[in-house]
Amino acid sequence: MTRFIFADLRRLWAGSLVVVLLIAFATALGVAVTLQERALRLGSARAADRFDLVVGAPGSETQLLLSSVFLQPSPLPLMPGNVLGKLAADPRVAWAAPVGFGDSFSGYPIVGTSTALTTNLSALKEGRVFSKAGEAVIGAAVTLPLGYEVKPTHGLAALGGETHTELAYRITGRMAATGTSWDRAILVPIQSVWSLHGMGGHADEHDHAAEAGEAHNAEEPGHEDHAGGHGHGHVDPDAPLDENWTAEAPGLPAILVKPKTIADAYKLRQDYRGNGTLAVFPGEVLTNLYATLGDAKRVLSAVAVGAQILVAAAVLMVTVMHIGQRRRQIGALRAFGAPQSAVLAIVWLELFILIALGILFGFAIGYGAAILLSAMFSGESGIVLPVGFIRDDLKSVAAIVLFSAMLALAPALLAYRQSPAAALRA
Amino acid sequence: MLSLELSRISVSYPGLLSPVLDIPSLSITAGSRIAVTGASGSGKSTLVNVLTGLERCATGGSIRWGDADIAGMSERGRDRWRGAHIGLIMQDFHLFPGLSAVDNILLPARLSRAMKPGDPDRALMLLYAVGLCRADQKIETMSRGEMQRVAIARALLRKPGVLIADEPTASLDSESGDAVSRLLIDLSVSNESTLIVVSHDPRLTGQLDRRITLSAGRVASDRAHREKAA
Repeated sequence: MTRFIFADLRRLWAGSLVVVLLIAFATALGVAVTLQERALRLGSARAADRFDLVVGAPGSETQLLLSSVFLQPSPLPLMPGNVLGKLAADPRVAWAAPVGFGDSFSGYPIVGTSTALTTNLSALKEGRVFSKAGEAVIGAAVTLPLGYEVKPTHGLAALGGETHTELAYRITGRMAATGTSWDRAILVPIQSVWSLHGMGGHADEHDHAAEAGEAHNAEEPGHEDHAGGHGHGHVDPDAPLDENWTAEAPGLPAILVKPKTIADAYKLRQDYRGNGTLAVFPGEVLTNLYATLGDAKRVLSAVAVGAQILVAAAVLMVTVMHIGQRRRQIGALRAFGAPQSAVLAIVWLELFILIALGILFGFAIGYGAAILLSAMFSGESGIVLPVGFIRDDLKSVAAIVLFSAMLALAPALLAYRQSPAAALRA
Repeated sequence: MLSLELSRISVSYPGLLSPVLDIPSLSITAGSRIAVTGASGSGKSTLVNVLTGLERCATGGSIRWGDADIAGMSERGRDRWRGAHIGLIMQDFHLFPGLSAVDNILLPARLSRAMKPGDPDRALMLLYAVGLCRADQKIETMSRGEMQRVAIARALLRKPGVLIADEPTASLDSESGDAVSRLLIDLSVSNESTLIVVSHDPRLTGQLDRRITLSAGRVASDRAHREKAA
């Protein structure tokens, strides 16, 4: 029987191939949507996992999360600089690190922060943490050598930002991979960012207090008042770091906070909501984002299911027509004494083999497509999107296989029921 | 070798006034060689279908092959009985492309799960007996005459008590037709099978013992042939 089936499939290889490919692509579509959505959810959750609490100025929670955790360049409102000092001194806080954005270097965001973050986010793979204003630590995915001089570009170079000539950072260390957006970041002392943008310098900070906010609020690349606006402070690359955050620190877009306990985390979030600050749990904001993502997934899934139904209908139609063409052959099989069950098994197996092959290839193609998409996304964002099957996928595979087995039964029953005498007469 | 007793056979189709086959009684002795002739539409193919159990006759009729009345059998029972007792040879061969000659011979037995250990050897022996020696040759590369010889070997594999051939020479040239006629008669003798041949070919029917002529579903004439099989 198997020999007969394979001889048959070999004879009809072109049609069989088309059926297999149709099913494979329909399956791949559904698999890719499911895997990619899961990867995005898992990957972003893992990327945000290292950040327990983010404090920023009141505004969009989502934007605060996207900018601080996923380092999306966008203008954030500033909160008063004294919040950092308060948080750093809070006994419920393990560490608090400021985050200041705005500059970039060949596509890598330059993030101003403190040694607290560089030591706590991930261990250094090589080199040492910055200890002077003109030093920098790079993420694992930044392809620059240690010792390299980074000249920051205001905004994004791709958008025509202006290069800061006052200061070049020398790379002193590289962090181990974290699977987060921070792998693509160049971390520098936040004082240097302040100074570069004329916000630092404890001596004249009062003059700049108002302007600082304005400057950061208008952080879009190439903004007009940049050239004649705030004076670029001179920065001494060898200036020592001062991480005793005082109340006079300039305004900040975000502070990453590591609370000591979970209870502390909830209390801190409570305390820093209102009064000019907004505290969010990244996980919580992500959950809201996933709700939106879930809706998008539902739409994509519906599209995939639609495609699958179309393919199933097409395959069914092709096989029913094919059975019609093979009536005489099937009638002859019966005439030579093949039992009805053998005819049923042959037709069913032939179709089911094709469908099963299609599903198998479909899963492979869908998996490959998801891996490719994830790799492309990771290259751009630094966030690792883990593509993988979970145990529950076995259930959906079983459901699909069961469904196609039933589908293949339809033409098989058609062949089963047809009278051999009538078939031979045709 | 099986004998046949037909009684009260009637096959009609809805929409047709007269039955396409109406045979009150007919008997065939075991081991005889019968020719069935008649114009097209006279009921020859229906008779073959009834004799092989592919088609049911109206209730009340009986088709007794030896001791078995296949009119009373279930569809599955008739399939099984046909596979075991009837060797069928058709005008269009109904061989299966993509399979070799020997696989074609063995296919019905395989599909019926009735393969016996000696069957592959017997298939080769039969192939040799019909004058073919390349067992692995793919069926679609053979000439029509060779195909019909493979079909004869297939019909004989399970040592059927009856060989039924429906226009076995009609689609062959006269030379191949003669060879196939000779093989049918010789092998039915050596395999001790009753032979029933539906044919228009006088060179084939002339070699058989008895000729039944059908007309409008009825037996119009039934006479023994004087010339005996060669």
